[in-house]
Amino acid sequence: MGEDASAKRGEFESEALVHLDTLYNVALRLTGNAYDAEDLVQDTVTKAYRAWDKYESGTNCRAWLVTIMRNTFINQYRRESKRPTPVQFDSVEDISVFENVQDRDPAGSFFRYIVDDEVQQAIQELPEEFRIPVVLSDVEGLSYAEIAEILELPVGTVKSRLFRGRRRLQQRLYEYAMEMGYIR
Amino acid sequence: MMAGFLKNMMGKKKPEPEGIDCEEVMAQLYEYIDGELECEVTTERVRKHLDLCKRCYPHYDFERAFLRFVSEQGRTNTPPELRRKVFQAMLEEEEDQH
Repeated sequence: MGEDASAKRGEFESEALVHLDTLYNVALRLTGNAYDAEDLVQDTVTKAYRAWDKYESGTNCRAWLVTIMRNTFINQYRRESKRPTPVQFDSVEDISVFENVQDRDPAGSFFRYIVDDEVQQAIQELPEEFRIPVVLSDVEGLSYAEIAEILELPVGTVKSRLFRGRRRLQQRLYEYAMEMGYIR
Repeated sequence: MMAGFLKNMMGKKKPEPEGIDCEEVMAQLYEYIDGELECEVTTERVRKHLDLCKRCYPHYDFERAFLRFVSEQGRTNTPPELRRKVFQAMLEEEEDQH
């Protein structure tokens, strides 16, 4: 029994805990603060460990873990008042920042002046519908199909949320760069 | 052929290298950058268009710079203390099963 448990832990460590950074980053973006993010990571890992027998070895462990995290977050962490309000669709996403900067900074050099805190904050300010696809894709490198599976959305919806989320994020960073004088 | 190509590049006519126009390329730009275009023929057409199009290439370059920036700056490292707690919790779970 002891050996079984030890083997299970070894397997869990090598297959699941290698994704701890992904879990922490997604948790941060879901909860919006480090304190809750740490709790959410711990709850997720404990649940995943207890359900490890149900995980099919060799399948997509990272997507499995993020799915557990998302469900845990929805069921335990999200207060009624924090439910995402439906996103107001506006026209900001229709224009790429490139249109505004192509004459001054077509290579987007201004991005390099923006510090990581500002990027994290700009990501956090995105509506949840856009924030999570952007984090899963652009920070964690998941495919559209993986994101669709985790968020239980059609791939087409993932694509359009990603598009809108990226455009909003880009716009926010551009405004910040303008305020700071990184771009004139 | 070269003359026609140059004429297009001068902006007198909307360039349509590889039979795909700028609008179509822009609509699929993120999918192309993400390596998510399903059809290889389309991927190749977008690639060739971008190689030749003076209008689309800089935009493509800008979007790539943006995405590279987000992937580099959007990440936070797991606090070592959390890592320790997670491993500790595993050991406790294991002991419970003994």
